[in-house]
Amino acid sequence: MPVRTPHFPDLLFGPAERLRRWEDALMGLLAAHGYRELHPSLVLRDTVPDGALRFFDGDELVALRWDFTMALAGLLARRFPEPPDRVSYAGAVFRRPVQPWEAVERFEVGCERITPEGESSTEADVELARLLMAIPGVLGLKSAILHMGNAALVRRPLEAEGLGPELAAEVVAALSRRAPHRVAQTLEGHPAAARLSAHAQALLSELDGPASLGALSASPYAELLKEEVGHMDRALQALLPILPPNLELRVDLADVAGLDFYTGPTLRLWAPGAQQELAAGGRYDRLFPGLGRPWKAAGFCVRLSRLLDLAETRPDLFEQP
Amino acid sequence: MNAPAILIAFPKGRLGDELVPLLAGTPLALDAQALKSRVLRIPTATPGVSALLLKGADLPRYVAAGVASLGIVGSDTLDELDMDLLELADLGFGACRLSLCALAGVSLDELRAKPHLRLATKFPRATEAWLTREGLTAELVPLSSSAELAPLLGLADAIVDLVQTGGTLKAHGLVETAVLGRSSARLVAARGAYLSEPGRIRPLAETLLAALKG
Repeated sequence: MPVRTPHFPDLLFGPAERLRRWEDALMGLLAAHGYRELHPSLVLRDTVPDGALRFFDGDELVALRWDFTMALAGLLARRFPEPPDRVSYAGAVFRRPVQPWEAVERFEVGCERITPEGESSTEADVELARLLMAIPGVLGLKSAILHMGNAALVRRPLEAEGLGPELAAEVVAALSRRAPHRVAQTLEGHPAAARLSAHAQALLSELDGPASLGALSASPYAELLKEEVGHMDRALQALLPILPPNLELRVDLADVAGLDFYTGPTLRLWAPGAQQELAAGGRYDRLFPGLGRPWKAAGFCVRLSRLLDLAETRPDLFEQP
Repeated sequence: MNAPAILIAFPKGRLGDELVPLLAGTPLALDAQALKSRVLRIPTATPGVSALLLKGADLPRYVAAGVASLGIVGSDTLDELDMDLLELADLGFGACRLSLCALAGVSLDELRAKPHLRLATKFPRATEAWLTREGLTAELVPLSSSAELAPLLGLADAIVDLVQTGGTLKAHGLVETAVLGRSSARLVAARGAYLSEPGRIRPLAETLLAALKG
């Protein structure tokens, strides 16, 4: 008999109905914007990452699908000479939990926006943000907060200063904790310590609306990051006039989650009182070139399992259907 | 359904003893009557905000899981557990050193030269990191309290433990042979609460900062 709570929760009538309804509504929203569904196999035979659920199929080590973006990228790179521009997905991924309360089986709906080499990706970023802005309404969330960040705000100064991978990882970990004192401590004795600490202070200025972008003018890397700041400013100008009434848009300059993957703008959707983000995404232009394809890509994933948990624990955050 | 009450996790023990007087007279002062009882959830002077009194080693888990929105804990504990939470400020108080301590007369070089070094500690992560930096190997003897006894009774060659005044070490005939790191109280926050409810959480964090950072 197992003595620990399994991480494969069964969905009873209410959550099962809610999952079906949300999946249909989200896939409908994506289809209405030109996104076509791809369904990569649940069983992966590619290189198996550490966090995946693995087992032997005869003599062969296989893994359950652990991330749609990675599974789709492999499929697209192998099967499509030219990239489809809009792809959607829905289903479960299986990942070993980092925290003891996380489930292994997680339900997701998401999309990928792919642009061939040479084409501008600015419009694609705004398109994804607009889609994400529509999601609280589709899910019946009474209110939500959209955080907009940009991975390049941290990545480019670290690269410019030539920080080694270990030291860079420590700085990123300190930023992830929003701990400027840790950044200073980590960089003690490094020639770029003063500059990078000042940059960390600018990044960690209080989360706020679009005015937060102004904090970067105090950074020693303001000139280096001019293009990224301009990109964020243009996106904000495009999004603010169409902001739904129950959605707040915040600029989060210190968003470093997934920094080894994201290369540009990032988006995270929260509900007030939620302990975890409900959807997340961004630009990851290094993924396809790493697979031998000169394509740029961005996308987001709606974490339906977290939404199902939230609907159970905080039903007051949702409109009644 | 209204938004749930906000819980702030405060440490019991050494840090807690320093903390309670600093909060007196602030909006987060702990209810004196409740403090005298054995109750571990204490009302504060702000309605809807309660304090949880927790052991330092358990505290980060309550915050990382979002049960408590804010907390105060020593950086030594944070470094050992490496939980996913925000560390908003170094509060400065509760300062101490994480040190390698051995019987008086035993030098660091003598410890280094041991073919099989045994170190007793409740800080295995920090100890392993130091051993890696120093290019040493050792057998770690995990202890949760009274580590000072280990070298006296032959359980270990030395200990890695927190040292504040050095009084306990002296009482057991031990001396510091190396400082591995420094620790102080940190203001921590649940990532979810801080990012999704800034209007509720940030003013409380600022109140704590104003009271505790002086």
